[in-house]
Amino acid sequence: MKALFGNGRVICALVLPGLAVMVFALVVPIGFSAYYGLTDWAGFGKFHMIGLANYLEILTADPVFWRALLNALILMLVTIFIQNPAAFALAAVLSHLPARFSRLLRTVYFVPAVLSLVVITKLWVNIFNPTYGILNKVLHLIGLKSVMISWLSDPRTALGAVLWIILWQGFGWALLFYYTGLMTVPSEIEEAARVDGAGWLQAHLRVIIPFMFPVISAVIVIDVISSLRQMEMIFLSTEGGPGSLTQFVSVYLYQKAFIAGAYGYGNALSVLFVVVAVGLTLVVQRILRRNDDAQ
Amino acid sequence: MRSRFAGTSVLYLFLVILAILQLFPLLWVFDYSLLKSGDLFGPELLKLPLVPQWGNYVRAWVDGKIPRYFMNSVIVVASSVAVSALISFCLAYSITRMKWKLRPVAVATVTMGMVVPIHTTLLPNFLWFNYFGLINTHMALIIPYVAFTLSFNTLVFMGQLRTLPRSMEESAFMDGASWPRIFWSVVAPMTGPAIVTVCLMTFLNNWNEFIMAYTYLSSDELRTLPFSIIKFQGAYRSDYAIQFACMTLVAAVPLVLYFFFSKRILAGVTAGALKG
Repeated sequence: MKALFGNGRVICALVLPGLAVMVFALVVPIGFSAYYGLTDWAGFGKFHMIGLANYLEILTADPVFWRALLNALILMLVTIFIQNPAAFALAAVLSHLPARFSRLLRTVYFVPAVLSLVVITKLWVNIFNPTYGILNKVLHLIGLKSVMISWLSDPRTALGAVLWIILWQGFGWALLFYYTGLMTVPSEIEEAARVDGAGWLQAHLRVIIPFMFPVISAVIVIDVISSLRQMEMIFLSTEGGPGSLTQFVSVYLYQKAFIAGAYGYGNALSVLFVVVAVGLTLVVQRILRRNDDAQ
Repeated sequence: MRSRFAGTSVLYLFLVILAILQLFPLLWVFDYSLLKSGDLFGPELLKLPLVPQWGNYVRAWVDGKIPRYFMNSVIVVASSVAVSALISFCLAYSITRMKWKLRPVAVATVTMGMVVPIHTTLLPNFLWFNYFGLINTHMALIIPYVAFTLSFNTLVFMGQLRTLPRSMEESAFMDGASWPRIFWSVVAPMTGPAIVTVCLMTFLNNWNEFIMAYTYLSSDELRTLPFSIIKFQGAYRSDYAIQFACMTLVAAVPLVLYFFFSKRILAGVTAGALKG
């Protein structure tokens, strides 16, 4: 069958379009960023090569960059340690319900995930609005008459509010991943554990979660990537403010390049960001794989 | 038994409340899109629209230029769905079926496409596309929309192709069928579910994309649908009801699609992600 599956011309015809698009829209641009990251270009006019000065400044003298990474890290941890367990528990409950009811609920829980981030963000910006937003109205209804918080611009609540929107939208995804994973668990496994005297919770902790480890790992990797990726939501709600409390790297590099006129600096941020994202993903994958082998 | 029944009831009640909480924000927006802007400042959480203000929708439709943005979205998204599905299928086929030396490179590129944050390409692509005169054309969106859905789609197709036997293609080849024919009448019909998944996911992702559309397009004639919401914020700052009507209209397309295809979407979402 070499003539069939080893036909060089056919392989080229199949592979080239895909690779060409990837190279054009993904690989070359990163090369561009690597080049402009070494310059002091403002986006127009002349510029000079300034070596690694941008990178040095970002790493040693740019608190906003570190704040943005810290926020991504906080989001990652909250997603993995709070949202995921909640989604897992709910998925476990749903998997024991009658099929029709479970399907209806899963469909409803996933609705926010199919909507545009622009709609989601603007919706929550309105909910969080201090004067007509529904959140303050609810607080008034339950007796907290004096509460008048501008959730997205108050330094005490801004990060929490922003994280809430992201977690709310992502919840349906996590639920769906875990539900699909749970469906692959053979029912004998749980039954065997039950026969051995394990309760519902114990059966899940001791038998089902270890069995689901590959799924959990995959979801964690997705969480890491998507935590770093946040942009539209921030861009359309707080723009990183107040100060840089809710800043994320993508928003920051955009603002630097297109608003502050530091195009070279913005590109250096882009390059560092790619390195951080790829590096972190590889590290997390390696840690998870090692755990998987250990079991 | 009684306590068991009570426990189950509490559980169901909890699940339903959670579902309502998940839908409530949407309901709230829809509700106030049918009221007058001033109603928003009342103390009620929801208010029955006794006299529905359909005029809000008319104004959102006309002043928000929704038909134009809608058509632009259709053009950009339909092209990117078609192209992305086609070339990711080819890529997946060559990776799972064909034998060639540089295959690991292709696999690495596809994997990288999943990991690199797409927004890092915003700055360089602005220059790069500008160099080819693509900025402020729909191509400036179609190309990255294809590129950034390619990896996921390839993984979905790879997952499906791995489950299919090669014998069909082999026997078709023995019978003297040409490659295009093998593709079209042997392989494509077998990958039906994956094709539907890929098209739906690519559609939803690109239909909802905002930041590239915002960055690469500057003329109003070319803007895509999510932009209409942003536009209203400037022009009708205090006209909340119209903004809400606009949000409802923009949300409607994915919701309708989801309503009809929820089973396939729910199955498809996990397919690529978990196998990859």
